[in-house]
Amino acid sequence: MRTLFSKPSTPIGLFAISLLALALLVLAATGCNTAKKGDRPAGLQDPIYTIADPAGDWGFPSPFAHYSRGPGYVRMSFIFDTLIWKDNQGYIPALAKSWEFLKDENAYLFLLQDQATWHDGHPFTAKDVVFSMDYMKAHSYEWVNLGVVKKAEAVDDFTVKLYLNRPYAPFLEHIAGTAPILPEHIWKDIQEPRQFLQKEALIGTGPFKLKDYSKEQGTYLYEAYSQYYQGTPKISRLKFVKVRNEMAAAALRQKQVNVAQVPPEIAGELKKEGLRKLTGRHDWVAKLMINHQKAPLDSVEFRQALAYAIDRRALVATCQRGHGLEGSPGLVPPDNSWFNARAAAAYPYDCVKAAEILAGLGYEKKDGCFKKDGQTLELELLISGGGTGVSGFPGEREGEMVKEMLETAGIKINLRSLEAKILDNLVNEWKFDLALSGHGGMGGDPETLNKVISGKAFISARFNRSDELNLLLEQQMKETDQDRRREFVNRIQEVYAREMPCLPLYYPTWDYLSDDRVSLYFTPQGIGSGVPQPLNKMSFLN
Amino acid sequence: MHVNYWREVHTTSLGRIGLGLIILMAATAALAPLLTTCQPSAYTGAPFAAPSAQHWLGTNDVGQDIWTHLLYGARTSLAVGSGVALLSLCLSVLAGCSSALLGGLYDRLLMRLVDALIIIPPVIVAILAAAYLRPNTILLVFLLSAFSWPGGARVIRAQTLSLKERMPVYAARTFGASRRRLLFSHIIPDLGPLLIALMIQDARRAVFMEAGLSFLGVCDPTIVSWGKMMQHALKFVYMDVWRWWLLPTGFALSLTIMGFTFTGFALESALNPRLRKEVSHAGN
Repeated sequence: MRTLFSKPSTPIGLFAISLLALALLVLAATGCNTAKKGDRPAGLQDPIYTIADPAGDWGFPSPFAHYSRGPGYVRMSFIFDTLIWKDNQGYIPALAKSWEFLKDENAYLFLLQDQATWHDGHPFTAKDVVFSMDYMKAHSYEWVNLGVVKKAEAVDDFTVKLYLNRPYAPFLEHIAGTAPILPEHIWKDIQEPRQFLQKEALIGTGPFKLKDYSKEQGTYLYEAYSQYYQGTPKISRLKFVKVRNEMAAAALRQKQVNVAQVPPEIAGELKKEGLRKLTGRHDWVAKLMINHQKAPLDSVEFRQALAYAIDRRALVATCQRGHGLEGSPGLVPPDNSWFNARAAAAYPYDCVKAAEILAGLGYEKKDGCFKKDGQTLELELLISGGGTGVSGFPGEREGEMVKEMLETAGIKINLRSLEAKILDNLVNEWKFDLALSGHGGMGGDPETLNKVISGKAFISARFNRSDELNLLLEQQMKETDQDRRREFVNRIQEVYAREMPCLPLYYPTWDYLSDDRVSLYFTPQGIGSGVPQPLNKMSFLN
Repeated sequence: MHVNYWREVHTTSLGRIGLGLIILMAATAALAPLLTTCQPSAYTGAPFAAPSAQHWLGTNDVGQDIWTHLLYGARTSLAVGSGVALLSLCLSVLAGCSSALLGGLYDRLLMRLVDALIIIPPVIVAILAAAYLRPNTILLVFLLSAFSWPGGARVIRAQTLSLKERMPVYAARTFGASRRRLLFSHIIPDLGPLLIALMIQDARRAVFMEAGLSFLGVCDPTIVSWGKMMQHALKFVYMDVWRWWLLPTGFALSLTIMGFTFTGFALESALNPRLRKEVSHAGN
């Protein structure tokens, strides 16, 4: 007889082994919460400044190889400088000492730093800026759309002029303050920038040089660039390590990391223990993606019924346990200076109103479900089951609650749980009815609205069926007068709320806790073109 | 093959404990609606409420009753475990017996297929399948069964090869019994205890894998599952809730697997003459 199970020693021995296994389970679980203030500080004398990140790997930090989401850009920004940058007060000089808009020529004139050098010792000149603009026009860089730059011209070694082919309001934020400047002597012969993963690809003019990167471990180790033109950084070594959000508090208490994003439930407790709490604005939005290209979701009225049927306030109260803001149908978060309260007032939770709209579309409610032509109104809702590492990302909990709300309204929902990247792919290919997703960048220039309403990326609603909305989006990009632009942005939010191509559900609260070795801050309108993280490289300079 | 297996199992300490645990879990699953007043999907309290008379194990992050989830989670685990055990056993018997009885090229090809299937990790296949199909309990049972039967088929084939050379089968064959009659009247009845052992082994693996896949998020999101409960609970290990959320769920899963394992040990002791201390015969 073949042995199916390994031979037991004695029944008592086996039972003892089982009990031991249970005891180990208990010990493992109790070990999760044993870190207390005053435990031995593991890295007290370590000069490395360590930043915890729940996802870890955000790609090789060259301009063309980092992952397209915000944390990837932040890692690249430590190595590569832009023409101008932002600190907690607003725009500041970076590779450009000063800048000026030449209205007659529709061009920007930049006076460049004459002391800046590349990490390999080569001097930085205006030719590098011209090369970078031309190169990124030829090889598109996802974070910057250089279609608006007609020509880049080096006036002399340290003066450059960028001509625009049309008025472009967010030029400073989205081009001058976001586009990394590349060294011509390194990149001029590179035909496939995304495949260029040699160490030369990481030669920039930024305050840090990359010393080590581990894709598998999700770690980045930077070393200060002592010749940095704005002064030597006050931190000699900087490290990003992968730490899950739920373990971040323990890592902070044990002094294994200097800064970490922590769940809001524990942020107050950590603050009382002496750590500094940084609460950012609500620049990350969780959205109900709607496939508005297929029936019945191609009907504006149907999408409006969905918006009425979902109680966004309850989602924040229950699934986010109150740590967040209710989604504004106009998309812009309530704590953003471009927020339009009129748009936000649309679609208060009203099941009856939703039912009336559906009845108006020819649906009949039978046995609690709407039906049309004998067919039950049934939609599939995709959710990310395993999570993404982003705090507040809508997952199973939100999916279950949205399903319950829509079923209360009479719309049958089939939940489908998928791995996050597979979900993104299905959304990208329009192979879905409804999906829960989200993205950051809502604190940036209102150009973000163009990206997330009519842009082509999967996080966008990719909605261009409203001529009124298309026109407004185009106008707000051209308008350089702030008041006029605000009018356009207000109107965009109202039209967006009316068309409802994608429903903003909530904006989660993000809390970072820091030991205050470095005075970190959230950058107004986000890092670059809107990354809502308190990891501005300027914090690390003297 | 005339040992009293039932007595062999339930008179040993391990067998008693194992059977007791399985019966306990099955009773918990069957009586779940009577043991709680809450519905698993209902938001019945404040988030992270501590255990109380109203919520015996407190509430989870969205205010659902954890005790209710624990009870209904047993249903999912046992449904998947028994479903996989039955389906996998049918496939194992079909493949193992037919391979042993028919032999030749069919036997060789089928055994190579078994070799190939044994090395494919079912977890990866389940994750891939979830990308194209809607994960649900029935799909999970089919998937796990599809990758559980090869091991059993090998064991059954080996035992069938041995049985078909034994005197009663040989005699039946000389009297002109068809293969079907040999199989259903002579071989399968003698395989009985082995089949039960295989079922227990498959059920144990299936319970564990269902919990593992749910933990990874590859499951029907509308079904309550212990794996999913642990996945959610682990997100809040920095709070005290793990004591009444993660631990009871872990214990329930461990006890269920222990129940199947102990019963399997006891049954194997009865099946394997080298492990048996004394024999209780059917007529005793």
